[in-house]
Amino acid sequence: MADIASSWANTGAVLTVHRWVTVIGGLLLASLAVLVLCLQFGATSVDVRTVATAIMHMLRADQGGSATLGTSEIIMVQIRFPRVLMGFFVGASLAAVGVTLQALLRNPLADPYVLGVSSGSALGVSLAILFGIGSTFLLLPVLPLFGFAGGLLALLLIYRLAQSKGRLPIHSLLLAGVILNAILTAFIMFITSIMEPNRSAGLMAWLMGSLTAPGYPALGVFAVYAVIILAVLMHKAQLLNVLSLGEETARSLGVNTEGVKKQLFAMTALLTGAIVSVSGMIGFVGMVVPHAVRLLIGSDHRLLLPASALVGGMFLALADTMARTVLAPAEIPVGIVTALAGGPFFLYLLLWRKDRMF
Amino acid sequence: MLIAATAAFANQDDETPSMTRRHQGILTGMPFMAHVSAQAYVDDAGRRMYFAKPPTRIVSLAPSITEMLFAMEAGDQLVGVTDFCDYPAEALKKPKVGYSNPNMESLVALQPDLVVAPNDFLKPDVIMKFEQLKIPVFILADKNVEGIFVHIQTLGRIVGRSPKADAVAMQLREQVAAIKQRVQGIAPVRMLYVLNSQPLITVGPGSFIDQLIGMAGGVNVAAKSAAPYPRLSMEAVLQEDPEVLVFPVGKAEGISESEQQTWRQWSTMTAVKRGRLHQIAADWLNRPGPRIAKGLESLAEILHPNHVTSSRVER
Repeated sequence: MADIASSWANTGAVLTVHRWVTVIGGLLLASLAVLVLCLQFGATSVDVRTVATAIMHMLRADQGGSATLGTSEIIMVQIRFPRVLMGFFVGASLAAVGVTLQALLRNPLADPYVLGVSSGSALGVSLAILFGIGSTFLLLPVLPLFGFAGGLLALLLIYRLAQSKGRLPIHSLLLAGVILNAILTAFIMFITSIMEPNRSAGLMAWLMGSLTAPGYPALGVFAVYAVIILAVLMHKAQLLNVLSLGEETARSLGVNTEGVKKQLFAMTALLTGAIVSVSGMIGFVGMVVPHAVRLLIGSDHRLLLPASALVGGMFLALADTMARTVLAPAEIPVGIVTALAGGPFFLYLLLWRKDRMF
Repeated sequence: MLIAATAAFANQDDETPSMTRRHQGILTGMPFMAHVSAQAYVDDAGRRMYFAKPPTRIVSLAPSITEMLFAMEAGDQLVGVTDFCDYPAEALKKPKVGYSNPNMESLVALQPDLVVAPNDFLKPDVIMKFEQLKIPVFILADKNVEGIFVHIQTLGRIVGRSPKADAVAMQLREQVAAIKQRVQGIAPVRMLYVLNSQPLITVGPGSFIDQLIGMAGGVNVAAKSAAPYPRLSMEAVLQEDPEVLVFPVGKAEGISESEQQTWRQWSTMTAVKRGRLHQIAADWLNRPGPRIAKGLESLAEILHPNHVTSSRVER
């Protein structure tokens, strides 16, 4: 079952190795192009040659030599490049988690924020801001650590609430998640309501979802973490196909559905906690990108999952570039751009290929 | 009944103030009221209001307004303040009513004859509720520094402390003028005011703090942002290269010490190279009240340590 490579060959007309390689290869090239494009735009104009020299500097990794760089290079190396990459990884993670949860919960409205883990992370960050904790710990910023811890606690809580007799029924998972979401959100609202308005404005701005330029250690940790979980999800892609046929069918096909569900829930929750910790709640990407990609390439998760991840990454990187530049030097919350740019496009797709929805 | 007699809203019609006053006096069985010279006050929301006699049960819905009322020695007329009114110390003893979403029941229980509220932060439906309850609300909008002094004088006339309020406002104007004088001719210093660090929020054109930066001999690096409180791009900050970073600090609001230290990562920024990361009391600069001159002086000292402190010594 897990031997995906051989099963691709067996799916024949639906999904061939050739088609997989073409689509994913094309999307990888497109992603590269998008990343380079995003590096061109920002609050300050940096010409193409500076982009090139800055990238050369980074490749040579002379961190100590950064003092000799000019402002434009610093902007490229320390701000724009890490932020664009972070946007890409966050977008990819959001879309992949969205695909997985939509299949796992068999609910087209599922997104990474539906199961309460996100609120746990957000509450962790809110508490850290409320108590004025905000620094670095072992080179990593403290806010994401608090967020991640909050997400982990929420994960354990939902798991304990939802499971019964060693099983993890989907409906109780969804209900426990939604209810915990509501409770934790109430705590966050409480915290913002007791804060001095200037500070709660800062917290709200964080909650709305924003990408900031992370330091390279933080970016590296997040990227490695995300890629590992994405690889695990990719490894389970065929099981998602089976699960989306229904649990009964999956079990009759010899799948250990309980084990798979638990693993998938844990993986998506671990990734969601990390996403929210670094970027707050950026809406829309996790729910709509999977649908849009499904409309275009079909619902075989072995292709849908990686394709959604790449499209999600490109989409968020582009949306964040708009958020950075539209009102420059001021920024707007990236969630506004993802909804305003993605919404109409998705509606267009929906009208164009209504028959292939779900 | 008493409230209706002493203060009321006029509709948007063309009644003259004296007519309204006389009608009120007659209608409420207090004809002597008709002879009180009525004065119309227009608040910053454009609502006109009359006061036959100075309100004695005032609720303040902003720390800056509380400070104004105490500064004009009208503290004993104040019966309710926000959770964040901590200056002067007497304000802490006043009953609390919340802040942006005040507790209407405890507010009404205080039987206020005037509520003074800021334009920002307050939920819009709160003002409608006051109007339903026939509690006069006077709204102050913080636009610029002179507006703060005008607010002090207007409030002074409303609450019957006009001489003191005018004196406070005049003194503040003199202090501001003196500071402007002292920094005149000195090369302005590029600075960034870090209202919130993550994500970065600062002050832009249209906020009184932006105006104070200019008065203190500074140039706001966020001057090109088209919003009073913009989320500023870090790229723009590095491009504009501030020479001084100013962080508000305080009990209720402000940037924590550890958060300030994270700014040292921008090692090419002139402010970081010169070690010019400074703290300013958030209550002085962020509150559009009578301590704003202190905030301005403090800011001028931060920006021009040699000029401003030395001239003070010469005095």
